[in-house]
Amino acid sequence: MEKAFLGIDIGSISTKGVILDENNGILASEYIWTEGDPIQAVKKLLGLLEAGFDKSRYTIVGTGTTGSARKLIGTMVGATVVKNEITAHAVGTTTFYPDVRTILEIGGQDSKIILVENGVANDYAMNTLCAAGTGAFLSSQAKRLGIEVEEIGDYALSAKHPVSIAARCTVFAESDLVHKIQTGHAKEDIIAGVCNAVVANYLNNVGKGKRIASPVVFQGGVSKNKGVVAAFEKALHCPVTVDANGHLMGAIGVAILARGSKERREFDFSVENTDFHVRDASCGRCSNNCEIICVYRGDELIDSWGNRCERGSIRTKA
Amino acid sequence: MKQVSTTASRLPLIGIPRGMPYHRFGDLWKAFFKALDIQYVESEPTTLRTLEEGTAVALDETCLAMKLYLGHVMNLAGKCEFILVPGIKSFGRNREYCPHFEGLYDLVRNSCRDSRQKLITYQVDEPNGMSEADAFLELGKALGFGGREVKKAYQTAKREEQQRWQKRVLLENAKVRESGLKVFLAGHSYVLEDPYVGKPIRNFLEANGVTVLSGPVTDREQAMKNSGVLSPGCKWEINRELLGNLALKKKNIDGLILISTFPCGSDSMVNELLTRQIDSMPVLNLVLDSQSGMAGIETRLESFVDIIRFKRGLM
Repeated sequence: MEKAFLGIDIGSISTKGVILDENNGILASEYIWTEGDPIQAVKKLLGLLEAGFDKSRYTIVGTGTTGSARKLIGTMVGATVVKNEITAHAVGTTTFYPDVRTILEIGGQDSKIILVENGVANDYAMNTLCAAGTGAFLSSQAKRLGIEVEEIGDYALSAKHPVSIAARCTVFAESDLVHKIQTGHAKEDIIAGVCNAVVANYLNNVGKGKRIASPVVFQGGVSKNKGVVAAFEKALHCPVTVDANGHLMGAIGVAILARGSKERREFDFSVENTDFHVRDASCGRCSNNCEIICVYRGDELIDSWGNRCERGSIRTKA
Repeated sequence: MKQVSTTASRLPLIGIPRGMPYHRFGDLWKAFFKALDIQYVESEPTTLRTLEEGTAVALDETCLAMKLYLGHVMNLAGKCEFILVPGIKSFGRNREYCPHFEGLYDLVRNSCRDSRQKLITYQVDEPNGMSEADAFLELGKALGFGGREVKKAYQTAKREEQQRWQKRVLLENAKVRESGLKVFLAGHSYVLEDPYVGKPIRNFLEANGVTVLSGPVTDREQAMKNSGVLSPGCKWEINRELLGNLALKKKNIDGLILISTFPCGSDSMVNELLTRQIDSMPVLNLVLDSQSGMAGIETRLESFVDIIRFKRGLM
């Protein structure tokens, strides 16, 4: 049996999974919507991965999770590595693009920039806890304009006179956008304006004060939007590479981290048929009233977190 | 709640809110009251309830730190005769405080009016002839003590405060020589030392094997001397000390984390000055408001520590 490694990236909007062999070859990959239910999404993802994967030839010996639900899903699938998405993206991208200097990433809730020198992540920035200028903004504006998120790119590229939209804050941008709609600007011009606003917001916030050197790789869900890619190229005056697997880079990175870690545990696809659920508990031992998340496999409590201090720790039977 | 025992019964019980100025002047107040044999009671350490009680009485646009301060005041309301709410405007040129410190007494009096709690204050404004010593003299007189007695108590308290501070600075400066990853936390002491807001961040970093250097803990005079290089005109004392302390320690650190509470006016300007002092070092800017989830913060801290490890070749 040959060894394989599973990486799962569970974001607020989409859930990504890859299975890598020992030479970073992709054996299977899937990309689906999270739809507000990470546990169900991962079960579905694992079903899809299993169908496209040769179980008679490979065994999965290491599993990594990343993305905003990494802890929950890490518990659920018995991950050997649980890592934040910055590190996962940096590792994934530098493996495939050893000479990359700048990684731009815009996801559903977060945006980040990672600067790389000699193949090693050197500096980075992430949006503060506010989700302005991320995928969430693009999808809410698409809804307002009555189009699908996937269509934004084509609309934006056909624009002749992109309108200017306030880029500082999503709330300001939205009211500016409404005014532009009401004064009769063409839909494609407004959409192109929204793409420019996302880029301007990104460069003025996360990208502020950072020396963006070429080669530039752009990833995260928003990199699938041709309008934003074009806006970045115009603003940075250099080509911006979008890898065909760019949306999977977090999952790939965490699979590589799982391979690099010493921990080994055989992954069992049966989790997709096991009942997992989460219950909220209020600690109540002091006036912080910590909201504690309890994860159950069937009736068995397998993990819990969310407590600010020891008083709120819930012991698992294992 | 801690209560200082004393035999003097003619004196009122003073309440000390554990917010904003407490983290800088609390030692001085407590030593001063002790020297005069005045009983005091401190508010309970910050919890979610402190924030909720503070938010209920605060103006909604005010900063998180001010909301917490008001929560501490409300925690003491009805439990003491007077709550000590100082007003601190300025200790001299380039030693000024933010408008919330300056107008604290009026802010509290108006926000907490319905509680009918009595307040007691002292107001420091050195450029206009009111030094800290003079302000304490007035405070002591208002409590019914003679001038001589008050002056002596203030001097004793000041000495005690300085001795405590020097000990803390010695311990803090020793951390610079520790091996391993060191991160400089820049922020106001009332943010960094608050058990609900700043402590979880510090604990998370320490649990991940990082030595945390606390920005406000420094030899203040020395820091002030080093603070003028980038901004001769920065007028806020607390921020100047951070600038100076970072200038002193920047060669010994691996990363800088800026922590401020939304919407802090002075931090929004000075954080820019802090980042300009250093080059080729990862900087993390955390703006905190009343988020109760730690997940977003943990992602940022964890990735920050990873990047430092990458840089040092430890990963």
